[in-house]
Amino acid sequence: MIRNYFKIAWRNIRANKLFTVLNIAGLAIGICVCIILFSFVNTELSFDKMYSNSDDIYRVNMETSEEYNFETWATMPNAVGPALEQDIPQIKRMARLIKDDFGATASLKIGDKNFTENNLYLADSSVFKMFDFEFLQGNVETAFSKPKSVVLSQTTKKRLFGNQEAMGQLITVNNHDTLEVSGIYADLPKISVMDFNMVYNIMDSWMGTNVYWSNASYETFVQLEPNANIPEIENQASALIDKYVDKEDQYFTKFLLQPLTKIHLYSAEVREGYSTKLGSITTIKSLLFLSLLVLFIACINYMNLATANSRKRAKSIGMNKVLGASRRHMLSLFYVETGIMVFLSIVIGYAISFLILPLFRSITGNELGYQDLLAAPILIGLLIIWILVTLIAGSYPAISMSSISPLILVNKSKTKGAASELVRKGLVVFQFAASIVLIIAVTVILQQMSFIKNKNLGYDPSGIVAVSVSSAETGQQIQSLIKSLERQVAVESVSAVQSMPGANESGRAVLKLATDNTGMPIASCRTDGNIVQTLKLNVLAGTELPETITEGDSIIYTLINEKILNYLGYQTPDEAIGKIIHTELGPRALITGVVENFNFNSLKEDIGGYMYYKSRRAPEGIRTLLVRYNSQNLSQFMEQLQSTFNEALPNTAFDYQFLDRHVAQLYASEERTARTATIFSALAIFIACLGLFGLAAFTAEQRRKEIGVRKVLGATVTGITQLLSKDFLKLVLVAFVIAAPVAYWLMHKWLLDFAYRTEITWWVFVFAGLAALLIALLTVSFQAIKAAVANPVKSLRTE
Amino acid sequence: MIKITDLEKYYATEEVRTIALNKLSFNVKEGEFVAIMGPSGCGKSTLLNILGLLDDPDGGSFIFNDIEVSGFNERKRAELRKHNIGFVFQSFNLIDELTVFENVELPLIYTGVKAAERKERVEAVLEKMQIMHRRKHFPQQLSGGQQQRVAVARAVVNNPKLILADEPTGNLDSSNGNEVMALLTELNEAGTTIIMVTHSEHDAKYSHRIIRMLDGQKVTENILMEAP
Repeated sequence: MIRNYFKIAWRNIRANKLFTVLNIAGLAIGICVCIILFSFVNTELSFDKMYSNSDDIYRVNMETSEEYNFETWATMPNAVGPALEQDIPQIKRMARLIKDDFGATASLKIGDKNFTENNLYLADSSVFKMFDFEFLQGNVETAFSKPKSVVLSQTTKKRLFGNQEAMGQLITVNNHDTLEVSGIYADLPKISVMDFNMVYNIMDSWMGTNVYWSNASYETFVQLEPNANIPEIENQASALIDKYVDKEDQYFTKFLLQPLTKIHLYSAEVREGYSTKLGSITTIKSLLFLSLLVLFIACINYMNLATANSRKRAKSIGMNKVLGASRRHMLSLFYVETGIMVFLSIVIGYAISFLILPLFRSITGNELGYQDLLAAPILIGLLIIWILVTLIAGSYPAISMSSISPLILVNKSKTKGAASELVRKGLVVFQFAASIVLIIAVTVILQQMSFIKNKNLGYDPSGIVAVSVSSAETGQQIQSLIKSLERQVAVESVSAVQSMPGANESGRAVLKLATDNTGMPIASCRTDGNIVQTLKLNVLAGTELPETITEGDSIIYTLINEKILNYLGYQTPDEAIGKIIHTELGPRALITGVVENFNFNSLKEDIGGYMYYKSRRAPEGIRTLLVRYNSQNLSQFMEQLQSTFNEALPNTAFDYQFLDRHVAQLYASEERTARTATIFSALAIFIACLGLFGLAAFTAEQRRKEIGVRKVLGATVTGITQLLSKDFLKLVLVAFVIAAPVAYWLMHKWLLDFAYRTEITWWVFVFAGLAALLIALLTVSFQAIKAAVANPVKSLRTE
Repeated sequence: MIKITDLEKYYATEEVRTIALNKLSFNVKEGEFVAIMGPSGCGKSTLLNILGLLDDPDGGSFIFNDIEVSGFNERKRAELRKHNIGFVFQSFNLIDELTVFENVELPLIYTGVKAAERKERVEAVLEKMQIMHRRKHFPQQLSGGQQQRVAVARAVVNNPKLILADEPTGNLDSSNGNEVMALLTELNEAGTTIIMVTHSEHDAKYSHRIIRMLDGQKVTENILMEAP
């Protein structure tokens, strides 16, 4: 019996070539998309599950007070970790970690070679045990047994030392600390948020020994006793705040435990974490949704084409029933047929997914490898896809066709044409509605991206290169570098700053009155001047910061933005000039100038208070030079810049960043979303068109006789083409009516993420509607014209 | 074997109700060969559908092999049908995707006959119908006469007690038609009951008895020869 099903099913599949090709193409594309995305999702979901203590490791996050808008921070004072370990018995061990120099790129000097390193961490030695460090040279015990020791990952060792022995070698970090290599460990797993390339002992630094409850710069991980009670620990931990911190200094109110395995995907709301390997659960969910949508559209193709085909097969179904087949026999037959079709599609889709994986990688910038496609969950996923798609895609055709009565053979059966026609139309409407939603979504996303790119930020990030000087040995070196840069023709201006906009400013508060307890949180950035000219800020009142400050002048000169101006309550910018401003910087801070608000952060955020200051006794150092250049030949300019740099700072690695690229980087994830959405929509529309093409072919076939009669009676080719196309176009219109509000709602929600956003204009809808209409028309008219030009004699002669 | 009494069947569309069978009664004995004649629309095909257990009457009684079958649901009818009745249609109704052999084999599959026995029985009946040499061909590769022989082979492979033939020669030329009629006669002589709907007086002469119908009722009955 089963063999017989296979035989019949196989022959049917081969007999209807068009039907088979359209179906397999649609399903294979849908499945290919699913496979790649499932692999992606699978790797994302496996983050940090491989450590032997994974389930018991948590990151401590803290919730800030009202003054800081109840944000959740991943970094906290370095006193938190030791206090937790000491006071809470359920905590087995803790590890604090902080990136060297608060995350600035470190400059390494080995012998006479300079290197840069972004992932140099200071940590408690307990991280080794917590995260299963596997030492290839040295061991956990001896790693930090000597002061000023550093351990390297295998890859970093290769990069720094090549094939030479690294153990015992000296590395000078940022020209102030010299560390000795005391261990080499196997690289941590790729699917881990832990991204240490080099680790040195936090206890060798004041950062570990000088314990305080103020500055929040340390990530703190804890390993709990098995089966610990999380809410209880959180309460105990939060209670420590009252125990150790004075009421007026409590700018954080609560400690929360975030499971290690959730850090990768669930940290969108957590600020200040050090890991760069963060994903997003929203992305995962939307990708899953989109891939299932594409697959479902492919399933709809199958349902539509199979039922459209049912007229052709009705006779054979009827005959089978006359010969004794039951409804169950026929159901099985159709499911077997669908199963074979889906199986072929899976094989093809799976093969394609290997071919296009590199393309996927380049589009989305992720590191999915071939072995990820072979992972066990993917293979199980394929099995599930096979079963599910067979059941879903096969359901409607199997149910509707197996119920065909044997009376069809004697033309006495009431055909259920109307009902199945309606279902088919509904399915086409769904496909096109989904496609139109995607077209609108993509258009709005692209519009928003171009809005962001072209938005006047209030300063001009293009033509600026930010050069790191944080590892300069002396201030002298920086001054001489600035001087020689200013002599170059291609350099328009240089500004020495603490941070480029939106990177490493200091959080401070501006008070209305000196006696106030709380004020407005702002970002403050030290500069040595020239900042207005270099960034092309818009001065509303006052002047640029003074070029020189005389010896003994203890005044702190400040440049504030409108946000601060408004907070302080001045009516006009001019009014503020020369006034005293209260900050933690000191009592003698004067407002020198007011600049127009500028977007130092991503456009997703509203502009906050921002202050540049210049003072002889600034608490922050100069870490970056912003160099505005004007050169036709960028590579030549960069070469020149580097050689000037090397002359002035011979022991420091040349590390730079173009400011406009840094700004673009802020929208990298949106950029990826845009590209992914574009691809998905294109695929969804393409698959829907395959289905429509097939459906049009069947309709034309079905109406051959009618077309013949109409032509005999004088209908023109145009008339017939219109007749056949009209029905489909109506469906597209219905789809549009459904899709437009859905798309509007979705995109409106998406745009809410941005503080600065484009409008959703009416023409987007007109464009999407016309695009869908045009695509449908092209697809259908091919078949319609073919039917219209056919010789009517042929269609009328055959019954 | 068959006893129908006051059989009724209506077809209703939204506006009109057509009476297809109007209190029709007659009997068919085992081994009989009955021809049913009448103009288009007189209810012949409807009658055949009911006799073939493809359709259910709206009224009256239909006793098949001493069982009252009117009111049977589709499942029960199908069960009874596949063991007892073979069909021959005017348009052959062979399944295009199956070979001659497979078409004939199909009823045996549905009645659960084992593969080895199926092969034996199909080959025997193909031999008998003289189309053994065509067993691997698909229906489209055969002439009309050959196709109808396959259809007859398929109808008899299960050794049904009753064969229902709906204009079996309607799509054939006269020599092929005569061949098919000869086949049916042969089957009848071997003991199979045959009920045949036909427009052809010529074909009707092969039967024992002709029932003539008009507007869903029996008008006359001519007995041509005594059934065995």
